[in-house]
Amino acid sequence: MTDWHIIAAVCCVGLVAYALRTGGYLTAGLLPADSQAQRFLRLAPANLFVAFVAASCFAGGITNVVGALVALVTMLVTKRQWAGLIMGFVAAALVAILRG
Amino acid sequence: MTTDTADQTPSTPAFTAAAFRRGLIAGFPFLLAYGVPAVLLGIAYKGVEFGLFASVLFSLLVYSSTAQAVTLGLWTLPPPIAALILACVATNARYLVMGANLQQSFGRFSKWLMLPLLFFMSDASWMLTTADVKTNRPDAGYFFGLSLPGWIGWSAGTGIGYLLPLTPTPTIIAATAVLPLAFIAVLLPAQWRGKRSVLPWALSAAAGLAAAPFLGAGWAMIAGGSVGTLYSMVRGDHD
Repeated sequence: MTDWHIIAAVCCVGLVAYALRTGGYLTAGLLPADSQAQRFLRLAPANLFVAFVAASCFAGGITNVVGALVALVTMLVTKRQWAGLIMGFVAAALVAILRG
Repeated sequence: MTTDTADQTPSTPAFTAAAFRRGLIAGFPFLLAYGVPAVLLGIAYKGVEFGLFASVLFSLLVYSSTAQAVTLGLWTLPPPIAALILACVATNARYLVMGANLQQSFGRFSKWLMLPLLFFMSDASWMLTTADVKTNRPDAGYFFGLSLPGWIGWSAGTGIGYLLPLTPTPTIIAATAVLPLAFIAVLLPAQWRGKRSVLPWALSAAAGLAAAPFLGAGWAMIAGGSVGTLYSMVRGDHD
């Protein structure tokens, strides 16, 4: 197995990631400005993130629940995103250690 | 770097040096916030026979904690490219919606300048940009400035992690898995709209939870978020 196989796989995944980042932007440009689809896109972001948090907490169990809660509470208290992220990671790591 | 002209209306998108600096300052914490977890990812990459170059290239090109964490779990030799691509689509499908949302604010900006900038889009830079355009003129400079530190931190952190004399452990892998969730959780308060958010968010969370066992977190996000958004539309919300 040469490194080129690995590099090719990485490039393929990178290309797909970029296509996803630009695909929605380009597609939305084709929609009428006052369409229901555009209205949906305006309203969707927060709901998508709430659903992602809920689903990820379910998938990751107690480690994810504690990590997300600590990150969120730290953010609410300190108003600093970096503090929320770091505390969330630390809490998740501690739970992972305690659970063996 | 292009600059705006004085006669532009307040809603006209631009790319200004001032907004780039403002974004860079706002995004500076993500140099560390993305860099530290990327160190863990770099350590984890050592366990799947990635070389240093491939590890850093993966973070440079894919720049997605969710996609990289999932594809890490799928990695074998030879690389299962179809499975890796499918996993990338499943975990990053949200970028389609995020990009479509940005088009509403930056649609009048030159797409030949906007498309390269979208390469750097992250959950954090997207969410902070969508919040910024509610109070300021859409400025791609702010988006780019906001996105850059996270991308640099993520890529450099991966390389540093790979070079550290540490081996991946279940604890490191568990901590890495919580990263995308924590990134999004800390950004939620900025999206809160008071009582108006309660029901759509509750519906989104409930539908996301119901879908997660069958679809995984990436698609459950789309399914759950769509339920909450459709409710908002039926209720007559506009923004």
